[in-house]
Amino acid sequence: MEEKEEVIVATDLTKDYKNNRGIFDLNFTVYKGETFGFVGTNGSGKTTTIRHIMGFIKPQKGDVKVLGMDSWKESCEIKKYVSYVPGEIAFPDLTTGIAFFKAQAELLKLKNMDYCNELIKRLQLDPSANLKKMSKGMKQKTAIVAALMAEKDILILDEPTTGLDPLMRETFLELIKEEKAKGKTILMSSQMFDELEAVCDRVALIFDGKIIDIADINALKNSDTKAYKIEFISKEDYLKFKKLKFKIIRDQEKYSQVTIQIEDKNINRLFKVLKNYELKFISEVKFNLEKHFKEILAEKSKGGNDVQ
Amino acid sequence: MFSKALFKQSMKANWIKWTCVTVATCVMLAIVIIALGSLAIDNIRDSLKTVFAQADQESVLKESTIDGYELYNSTGTFEDSLETLKVTNIYGRNALETIWSLVKSSYDAALNEFQVNNEGAELNEENLEIVKINARDSLLELLNNMLPNLGQTIPGFQLNFSEEELSQFVYIMLCAYENNKTASDVETMATEIENAYADYVYDMAYEMFLQQEDSTEDLAKASAEASKEMVKVAMGNYSKETYSEEYFKSLASVYVPETLIYEQVLRTFGVDDTSSDEERAEAEKYAVVSKILASTSISTYELWIEEYTKNAEKYPEVKDVKESAREQASASITDQLNDIDEEVAIALKELGDMDIYGLIIGNLFYRVAGILLPMVYVIMVANGLLAGQVDSGSMAYVLSTPTKRRTVTVTQMTYLMLSLLAMFLILTVVSVISIWIVGGNDFTINFAEILILNLGAFLTMFAFAGFCFMCSSIFNRTKYSLSIGGGISIFMLVCTILGLFGSDVVPLAMRIDQMNFFNYLSIISLFDATSILTGGISWLWKFGILALIGIVTFIVGVFCFEKKDLPL
Repeated sequence: MEEKEEVIVATDLTKDYKNNRGIFDLNFTVYKGETFGFVGTNGSGKTTTIRHIMGFIKPQKGDVKVLGMDSWKESCEIKKYVSYVPGEIAFPDLTTGIAFFKAQAELLKLKNMDYCNELIKRLQLDPSANLKKMSKGMKQKTAIVAALMAEKDILILDEPTTGLDPLMRETFLELIKEEKAKGKTILMSSQMFDELEAVCDRVALIFDGKIIDIADINALKNSDTKAYKIEFISKEDYLKFKKLKFKIIRDQEKYSQVTIQIEDKNINRLFKVLKNYELKFISEVKFNLEKHFKEILAEKSKGGNDVQ
Repeated sequence: MFSKALFKQSMKANWIKWTCVTVATCVMLAIVIIALGSLAIDNIRDSLKTVFAQADQESVLKESTIDGYELYNSTGTFEDSLETLKVTNIYGRNALETIWSLVKSSYDAALNEFQVNNEGAELNEENLEIVKINARDSLLELLNNMLPNLGQTIPGFQLNFSEEELSQFVYIMLCAYENNKTASDVETMATEIENAYADYVYDMAYEMFLQQEDSTEDLAKASAEASKEMVKVAMGNYSKETYSEEYFKSLASVYVPETLIYEQVLRTFGVDDTSSDEERAEAEKYAVVSKILASTSISTYELWIEEYTKNAEKYPEVKDVKESAREQASASITDQLNDIDEEVAIALKELGDMDIYGLIIGNLFYRVAGILLPMVYVIMVANGLLAGQVDSGSMAYVLSTPTKRRTVTVTQMTYLMLSLLAMFLILTVVSVISIWIVGGNDFTINFAEILILNLGAFLTMFAFAGFCFMCSSIFNRTKYSLSIGGGISIFMLVCTILGLFGSDVVPLAMRIDQMNFFNYLSIISLFDATSILTGGISWLWKFGILALIGIVTFIVGVFCFEKKDLPL
């Protein structure tokens, strides 16, 4: 595989807020052109990690390097390459969206507002609206435009889709995909598995301040192992099938249902076997990130229980 | 280190607050200065001052009148005797000549003896006095020997003098002889005796008044002159028919004020030879009042004598009776106040001396009322410049651009300081214009003082701004930044209000010394308006401390913001 350029590298990143809150020994790397997702429950440490990357807080241990620069010590320099959508949307004390964009452009030393206007159009935003009176979705759109308009190489988005209606979310995800296509490195956090699954190359699951797993979506999606759900008409068939050496990942006796995992090369063997059975239905079970992580978490807690 | 974009953003966010506070404070100041200037609050102070000055004059006037009256009254017996010597009295003619010759021989003998004993000694006033005393003593001896049958020796001469009065009488006769040794006819002798008597009264009155408390040579001279005039007039008009106590009273109440008022009392009201007729007319009004006062005081004096004479056990001696009566009758309004409570009198006097402009403008406006709104501005804006934006999260938009934290703090600090400076520059202009409008000598605050007051108010607010800015920088939450920064600032302002009631700018009547404790709790005490207005220099180093507080807290604020974690 070709050498990938490292953009964000977190090493043993630790911030202990006591009472088991904070983040502990985070290690991850985001490569150039990649879309990296963070998923986790509330308070799991997504925002804390992002604040470290932005240089807003100082790590207790370890560090984050963005393009090789320390995020705390050289936070100003890093900002030349990074755009940010904060998780909490609160705008400066200005009147309208236009005033806000102009102020941001001044801070960014940005002269050309064309892309900004284009984004406004795409997101169907009314920039002349009063900032204070904007709905949550409007504010979110405004924040996204403010972040994207600078056209920087790295995008860091902290739960960018909260407050957007489903249609807008689609538009936003489209935007992200376009940015990605432009070769930008994107790091976004979300509580929604499906949207991360839709845009991200890799997704990290954070739980209680620790990265439990980093899933490679492409690898998982295009995996040559698939799952099929089969329901039998008769109980005998069901019991007989179970005795065969297929990998059963889910077993629902009540409905005479099994879900098996099988590699693509063995699919013909399955069908040969199934010829002799009376089926109610057979369907492929699509890959699902949520399910994937839930399984991992379940295993993890099982493992944890075993230890205890 | 400085971001123009951020500065503009801060201006846009805060200009309404700034304008409101500036306009409101300027309007307040203009109203205070113009109202104070045009209403001439100092009139009250002046009239209070006048009351006390008049009370003092009144007291002197009454005392002098009573003394003059008493002096003259006490020599009533002398007058009686003199009557018998008068030219108009046919029986007195021989008696006067006899006594004159007696006086002549005693005086000449004493003079001769003195010249023999002190050869070549100059006959100056001092030596002549010795001669007169010697002559008086020898004459008294002679008279005492003769006294039981004096009536036979000198026909028509009936003496009921006391020993002291006799001594006075003889001395006056000697003075009269000394003044005109060649007098041969009775008319001349009588005139000389009258003159000598008048002079004697003058000397006596002078000595008496000088002994009085708070008496000056001027006043003593004036009073003595008045007494002398009285005696002269009395003797000129003297006849048995008009002789009465009423007559003495009216004499005293006319002559004492005449002399005293025109020469002394009115001088304190600024009336002199160069005064205009109007001023003189005004002075004469006072003179009329004074005459009434004088005559009243004599009546009061007699009433008190009557009253005290009844209490014989309490006042066995006549002298005591007269002393007490004099004290009572000459009491002025201030003496009466002293009787009630000394504190009250001091408080009232202080009220008269109070610098009302200094109190209202210097201490009340610039140290409390005038900085209240700027303080609210500073508290709100300092919080909004950092902590407010961190708390809401909007700081993220600034810090996600290539803007250093130090740039943020330095820019916000600059905005806070410049907006305050602009506010106080405008306030200074308004104050100078207001004072220029009211103008006048009555207005005790001059341009230099008002400039320093403005500078002091600015430095005070500069210190508070630094402090609030530091709090805003240290805390991530508005509630902490506001409650520590704003809370302590407001606390200090309230302490200054409370401390005002314990500071000596407030008149004693409403001062509670213990309240001065509050002044130690507030840095506004370092803005020493009293020192500025009284021409002191201690305000200078206090200003230095205020500036230092501001600078240090601003710097601490800048550094704290760089080091801390931001929840953005």
